[in-house]
Amino acid sequence: MKTLHVLSSSPFSDDRLSSCLCLLGNGDGLLLCGDATYAAQPGTQHGEALAALQGVALYALAEDIQARGLQPDVGIEQIDYPGFVALACRFSKVNTWL
Amino acid sequence: MSRSLLIISRQAPWNGTGAREALDIALAGGAFDLPIGLLFLDDGVLQLAVGQAPQAVQQKDLTANLQALPMFGVEALYACAYSLAQRGLSDTALAVERLDTDGLRTLIDRYDQVITL
Repeated sequence: MKTLHVLSSSPFSDDRLSSCLCLLGNGDGLLLCGDATYAAQPGTQHGEALAALQGVALYALAEDIQARGLQPDVGIEQIDYPGFVALACRFSKVNTWL
Repeated sequence: MSRSLLIISRQAPWNGTGAREALDIALAGGAFDLPIGLLFLDDGVLQLAVGQAPQAVQQKDLTANLQALPMFGVEALYACAYSLAQRGLSDTALAVERLDTDGLRTLIDRYDQVITL
């Protein structure tokens, strides 16, 4: 029962990301979209926390990355909206952090 | 067979509608006999504080709704032990199972669907 966690708010304005990181299990996925993509910025505490994750697949919406001029690490797979849908189907459930 | 649903409530009780909405989903699901679990995480554990007086801020008593959960068949109630400790809560207004990080991971794995509010 692997879960895809979806985050959309900035990691600098609330603690959704840090709480989510505690709950991630082996084989789970994490998708960053909207302002959550700021977590992918290398050299920040959040970027380092993501880089240190093991056994978790990392994704980010490419258009949100591009819009913000971010240069994420190679460990984060960038996807488009059809990719988002395919991803949601691949995991047994999706947990969106509203 | 109904799919089981875990609701993760992580909003403080008197700031906006998040806490009440999560509780409403749990009660509605319980009324329809869905297998429901409710997890209090982060600021959500503040809903469990003893001795709250919501009338002081002209709000309805959320604690009464919490007490109604078992009557609606929602008996799987959990709280993050770390969130409770972080906020200085030792007693809770509702009997909940306290889970550490491993317990939380196992819990999420066990349910078919998860909603986080």
